[in-house]
Amino acid sequence: MDTTWELYEMFQAFLKAPSYHLALEAFLMVWVLWLIFHKSYKPERLELTEKEKEELIAEWKPEPLVPDSSKNHYALKPRVVSGALGKKITVNGTECLNMGTHNYLGLIDSPEIKEAAVKGLRKYGVGSCGPRGFYGTVDVHLDLEAQLAEFMGVEEAILYSYGFSCMPSAIPAYAKRGDVIFCDEGVSFPIQKGLSASRSQIVFFKHNNVEDLERLLLEQDDLDKKNPKKAKVTRRFLVIEGLYMNYGDVCPLIELLELKKRFKVRLFIDESCSFGVLGKNGRGVTEHFNIPVEDVDLISACLDYAIGSYGGFCCGSSYVVDHQRLSGLGYCFSASLPPLQSIVASVAIDVLKSKPELVEKLQKNARFAHKELQRLTKLLVCGDEVSPVKHLRLAADRAEAQQLLEQIVDHMQEEGVALTVARYIDEEEHLVPPPSIRLIVSAILDEEEISSVVSLLEKNSDTLL
Amino acid sequence: MMLGGTPGPTNPNSFWLRSKGMWLTYGAAVLGLHFVLLSFPFLSVAWAWTCTNIIHNTTVFVLLHFIKGTPWELGDQGKAHFLTHWEQIDNGEQFTKTRKFLTVVPIILFFLTSFYTKNDSFHFTINFASLLLVLLPKLPQFHKVRLFGINRY
Repeated sequence: MDTTWELYEMFQAFLKAPSYHLALEAFLMVWVLWLIFHKSYKPERLELTEKEKEELIAEWKPEPLVPDSSKNHYALKPRVVSGALGKKITVNGTECLNMGTHNYLGLIDSPEIKEAAVKGLRKYGVGSCGPRGFYGTVDVHLDLEAQLAEFMGVEEAILYSYGFSCMPSAIPAYAKRGDVIFCDEGVSFPIQKGLSASRSQIVFFKHNNVEDLERLLLEQDDLDKKNPKKAKVTRRFLVIEGLYMNYGDVCPLIELLELKKRFKVRLFIDESCSFGVLGKNGRGVTEHFNIPVEDVDLISACLDYAIGSYGGFCCGSSYVVDHQRLSGLGYCFSASLPPLQSIVASVAIDVLKSKPELVEKLQKNARFAHKELQRLTKLLVCGDEVSPVKHLRLAADRAEAQQLLEQIVDHMQEEGVALTVARYIDEEEHLVPPPSIRLIVSAILDEEEISSVVSLLEKNSDTLL
Repeated sequence: MMLGGTPGPTNPNSFWLRSKGMWLTYGAAVLGLHFVLLSFPFLSVAWAWTCTNIIHNTTVFVLLHFIKGTPWELGDQGKAHFLTHWEQIDNGEQFTKTRKFLTVVPIILFFLTSFYTKNDSFHFTINFASLLLVLLPKLPQFHKVRLFGINRY
């Protein structure tokens, strides 16, 4: 009874309601009715009729699987390599001295590495059969991560199964849409892919040009001052390479660090080419410049080159690195590194620790090769003297230079030296570097071999050019 | 953010609002909230309704019209990072069924509250203000508009 009485009371109150209230309710009622009877948009997917499907199929013209390419395209004349990529390699059946692959320390063919690989194969088999977070973690992965962290003197390292996927996963794990990334123009392809995957605003500064970077950072600073609310939620990153794969020069880290501290940007360094190469113990560019590793926010490196395994890793403070265990796409969604490769990398790091003279020898060789290469009158050596990656460039227009360099490489191969012209996917690169022969110096070469290679190069370049 | 060739909604954030039984669940949740409030002996029926209305509208305002991207992990939503949940519904299309439902619910709730509070002018002021808070941002005219730059970045 009580309830009915209350309801009745309420009904009475409704009748006595002020007119503005009733008007408002009437208006809202009309709105509701309008909404109900207004034609609603259906977001469901459009279903095609059979006829429309047929038409669409008939309209479709497939693109050719292989686009038209010139007869001189290098892919049409593949060079077949058989056997391991050690000091000597067999190219198209002829044995050559290998100066084309990134085997800086010569670890690929070393007996202890081979032995470790076979042992790992016997114990763990070939693959890991799952991503790290999904039954793919094996004890050797954790060991290698701990070992890498200890070697680099950082809190934590995270292992990727493919060197190429390391930077493209690490950059978008932190930089998002709305952030700003300052990046060197000359960074290698994987980093460029990482930049575009981040969807951030990318600002390229001229290769190794600190003044240009400073100018761009000042511009950003002005923008930030005009719009402090936006600046508050914008993160700023600086992405560089320790030793530039495409140019063979070392980054001016000391000046860059000053800018990093002044403008509060987060610094990511890709040390793919400098890990195991620069510094007294091969710890990379931070050791080369005697800078505490904590000053850099994130260091990534590829294990394919100096270490002679596969995969890559990122390292830094746990606070930074741990984020990638759920946000690094290449870490979460890719099967982990084959355990046997992890063992190979572990042994290689042990070798690196126990034989720092290997790194010293490499740097000595690189310096010697740099000095020797100055003899070439027709070819210009680019890069730092300490870098094992030497780019030999030619002062000619792009197509012509490319063709001449290819010819030199062919002649060198006939005479027993395997070299390569640096290849790029021209359409995809941000800035295609000028054509060059990419010559790699390794620790297992001796000075005589380097001298004889340079003499051969001199002879061939003089006859051809 | 769906990558290369994956079939699925381009923005899965608000997809669940269209799923089966959603309207029923929503109604049940509001009713549940009201029953909980009614069970407090110190709240009169009028106050229980006003509280239901205010709590509902505040929650809707925060979840649909204030938080951008998703409630958690704000950074990784791509373009949707800058859109409120309401703006993401059905990829920004206006007058879809979900949008109509979400517009009508607070109005009905306002009617009910007015009725049970006997059109008291004090309750009316509070309830009407909270209604405006959730109705105005739902208007197509306010799509992607940030008044006075509030909550812009």
